[in-house]
Amino acid sequence: MLKMIKHIWLKDIKAEIYTWKSLVWLLVTSIIFSITSYLLLTNKELSLLDQTEMLWLFAKIIIGTILLIIIIDASALISNEFENETMENLFLTPLTTADFVLGKLLTSITIWGISYLISIPYMIVTSSGSGLTYAFMGYVAFFGTLAVLGFTMLIFALSFPYKSMKNTLTTSFVVLLALTIPALFSTTLKNNALAKIFGQINPIDNIFSSLDNVLVDYKTSIGQNLTYIIPVLVFCILMLFALLVSVRIFSRRGILKD
Amino acid sequence: MNEVISAQCISKSYGNIKAIDCLSFSVQRGDFFGFLGPNGAGKTTTIRLLTGILKPDDGEILINNHSVRNKKEVAKVIGVLSESRGFYDWMTGEEYLRFFAALYGIENKEQTVESILDEIGLSDRRRSAIGTYSRGMKQRLGFGRSIINNPEILFLDEPTLGLDPQGQEDIQNLLTKLNKKGVTIFYSSHLLHEVSHLCSVIAIINHGKLVASGTIEALQEQTKSTDLRDVFLTLTHAKND
Repeated sequence: MLKMIKHIWLKDIKAEIYTWKSLVWLLVTSIIFSITSYLLLTNKELSLLDQTEMLWLFAKIIIGTILLIIIIDASALISNEFENETMENLFLTPLTTADFVLGKLLTSITIWGISYLISIPYMIVTSSGSGLTYAFMGYVAFFGTLAVLGFTMLIFALSFPYKSMKNTLTTSFVVLLALTIPALFSTTLKNNALAKIFGQINPIDNIFSSLDNVLVDYKTSIGQNLTYIIPVLVFCILMLFALLVSVRIFSRRGILKD
Repeated sequence: MNEVISAQCISKSYGNIKAIDCLSFSVQRGDFFGFLGPNGAGKTTTIRLLTGILKPDDGEILINNHSVRNKKEVAKVIGVLSESRGFYDWMTGEEYLRFFAALYGIENKEQTVESILDEIGLSDRRRSAIGTYSRGMKQRLGFGRSIINNPEILFLDEPTLGLDPQGQEDIQNLLTKLNKKGVTIFYSSHLLHEVSHLCSVIAIINHGKLVASGTIEALQEQTKSTDLRDVFLTLTHAKND
């Protein structure tokens, strides 16, 4: 099984490189991080921000940017196999659906890993002297991994029934926006009961709140952030469930659209 | 002789359309089996059912005495040139065959890929991206992929489509060679002269149902026709009427 996962992963990583797809995204990531950290450190008004507030803002930008890139990239990973008519030939080999999905998931995690590596120097520079460098890097890695896993599983769950990159990408974007926009609302807007309930279950809101807790309030231990971590874990478990259902239907019907 | 492909009353519907309707037939080991039918008769669906890509609504399929649901066992013994003609255009021909050799777990990958590239006549373009290949070259590469696991049963859906006369002859010679080595060939084609030239046994389907099967001579006798074209037209038209 591991060998099969490796073959799919290697093929997709090569595709990312040969088609320049992820290289372009990684370049875009570097440019966004460079401009943001440069502005945060040199712009007169932005540099008036307290360093902890600045770190919180930067952490949100890192996770937001990488999530955006992962969504675009992951939407093509499975859908393209349908659209380019390469799926049938793959499944005529001893490859199983589990090998296939895990290989694709590993590709997405690899792209996230590389994007995270790119963000490390920027995180070190912006957090220098705050005493929060490790907490900053650690929590961005932790929440970034969970968010990427959750969204990638959602995207894969959509890719099997849609069999189209355009539809998968559009739906994933709508979900991302539906979760991110309320998380960016001001405290006043989040004051009614409905907003409070949504805020408590919204994974993006919980990620941002936990980063606030860690970077602004110096509550860096896992225990102090457990109330924020649990909803994010629940989101990942729900997405895993959605993916399993989608894969099961796909395997039962046969790989081609009826 | 023993059965390597056995379909027992298989059916498949797409919504309200019955693509395959209780189709039964068998193919013996070593046969060069021609599978004929007009457009939309259900040939491609049948191949997809026999290779496990589609699941039948009813019926049982045995490949080499294993249920087609036993994917691992079946995938080992079959090779398929399917209707899906998708390729990874960024890969070279060599990388493409190496990738599929890896998925089949072939140990001497390099040697296998080398010999297949020679057999399909793509050795000199092995390092070119597939995106730069002509349709015929892609068809050869697809054929190479279908035989990379040294299959006992080869399913071919219009294998000479898009090939020039020389390419068609090359593939036909290669198929004859494989059949002589004992490979069972399930050959779906519209080209009746090709089928009559290559196949020992044929089956004709129409509207998802088996119309006739047997040796070409037996079918000619049955329909009192002199060539396969007349046999085909007589049987499929009779059914339509």
